Amino acid sequence: MKVVTVCGMGFGTSLMLLMEIQDMAAKHGIKVDGEAVDLGSAKGKNCDLMVASSEIAGELQEESVQVISIDNLLSKTEIQDKVLPVLQAIIAGKDK
Amino acid sequence: MLTFITSILSNPAIILGIIAAVGLIALRKSVSDIIKGTLKVLLGFIILQQGSNIIVSTLIPFSTMFTKAFHLTGIVAEDNSLVAAVQTLLGRETAFILIFSFIVNLLIARTTRWKYIFLTGHMMFSFAGTMAITLDQMGITGWTAIAIGSVIQGICMVLFPAISQPFVRKVTGNDQVAFGFWGSSWISLSGWLGGLVGNKEKSTEDIKVPKSIDFLKDMSVLMGLVMIAIFIVTTAFIDSATMTEITKGQNAYQFSIMTALTFVAGVLVLLQGVRMFLSEIIPAFKGIGEKIVPGAKPALDVPVFYSFAPVAVTLGFIAAMVGGLIVTFISGFLPVVVLPSVIGLFFMGGAAGVFGNATGGSRGAIFAGFFLGFSWSLLVALAYPLVDMSKYGVQGLWFASPDAIIVVIIMRLVGMIFGVGA
Repeated sequence: MKVVTVCGMGFGTSLMLLMEIQDMAAKHGIKVDGEAVDLGSAKGKNCDLMVASSEIAGELQEESVQVISIDNLLSKTEIQDKVLPVLQAIIAGKDK
Repeated sequence: MLTFITSILSNPAIILGIIAAVGLIALRKSVSDIIKGTLKVLLGFIILQQGSNIIVSTLIPFSTMFTKAFHLTGIVAEDNSLVAAVQTLLGRETAFILIFSFIVNLLIARTTRWKYIFLTGHMMFSFAGTMAITLDQMGITGWTAIAIGSVIQGICMVLFPAISQPFVRKVTGNDQVAFGFWGSSWISLSGWLGGLVGNKEKSTEDIKVPKSIDFLKDMSVLMGLVMIAIFIVTTAFIDSATMTEITKGQNAYQFSIMTALTFVAGVLVLLQGVRMFLSEIIPAFKGIGEKIVPGAKPALDVPVFYSFAPVAVTLGFIAAMVGGLIVTFISGFLPVVVLPSVIGLFFMGGAAGVFGNATGGSRGAIFAGFFLGFSWSLLVALAYPLVDMSKYGVQGLWFASPDAIIVVIIMRLVGMIFGVGA
């Protein structure tokens, strides 16, 4: 499972978001490899899922993988509610 | 043997690599994670230095061009590039200040009621470099500089989040996170002033902003456009004979555009390096911080606030650009011409918009962004004579972070009172 998180510069917010997702996934027994990148290098990244803040996500519409848009980056609940079901679905899809 | 150890401990890439390895071992990571993490820190730092070389190589002809065109000195305010450029000279000091300041931060957070843990890695790196440079200018080097720099930085890593926290509460509506960014004081001030002129009932978020300008949020695009504009305008003011000398016969405008874009490419390479070494170090810092300081409030990078008012980010940034450009055009009487420095204007202007919106609605957001762009560029211009970067062979770059510049000013003043480095 590889998740790419995206923000404007690719090392502040996106890194925090990635650590949050990894913590959350680990609690549910999912191991997430990830990378925090800037908007410019996000395009065409090879991964299972992208997660970005809502003001950035609009620029990633043409990606081949699903892009989750997070409105409030400080809300652990929002991150969990939006990301966890997708992670579980991806795992279920891979097992088939 | 001793010279070998000294040589190892004067190389910032190796210092950070060793620290990452120790951290990863302490966190009981797997062998593969330890090897991966350590190598990525080393590679990241080498990439950072190569990016810096590219940037410096484009700024040397640019500085000549700018002086020939306007008989003035022009600078771009960008901390990471500046600090990366002095790593061959002050790398050891920077790397150790980066690490030890975090320990000072943890001690303060552990023992006082200010539970802030500063987790914005590139800001820790740039501030550490700022300390190393400022102390070096005051004639303080080596371990003395590392000790003083680490204590000052460690205090700042708690102090500045504490100052901005009341404003952060207004924006986010809670007290869970803090503002870990060396523009926090100036952004909070701009937001507060925005509140004086506006009405917070009339929020920016009711305004429709065209989606078509969203592509400017890609930093490489925005910086590319602005740097091309700066280079072309400068070229237009130079006579063709001088220009031929600088370009060694290439077409003047072709040379300008390609050099401008090479500068941007250098910044992108540098940031990729920063990204690589931070993504290994920061998770370790976060893990250790949360263990040592119960109830820690992470002080985070500026974009976490953008989602509270995305329209205010756009308005604040545009207003900041206008404010910054005004300073560029009137800077004939200032010590230096501060060129539009898009990274600072975008990230700080956008945040000023969000903070201004929280206190003063749309008018507050626009005023806050404008004030930030104007006063920040002015601050950079006025503080410029305090630190002479030409000593390190760096042209055309200067410090950007207002909080760090305030600390530099205080350090220089204290130095003058005690007769150090005056």
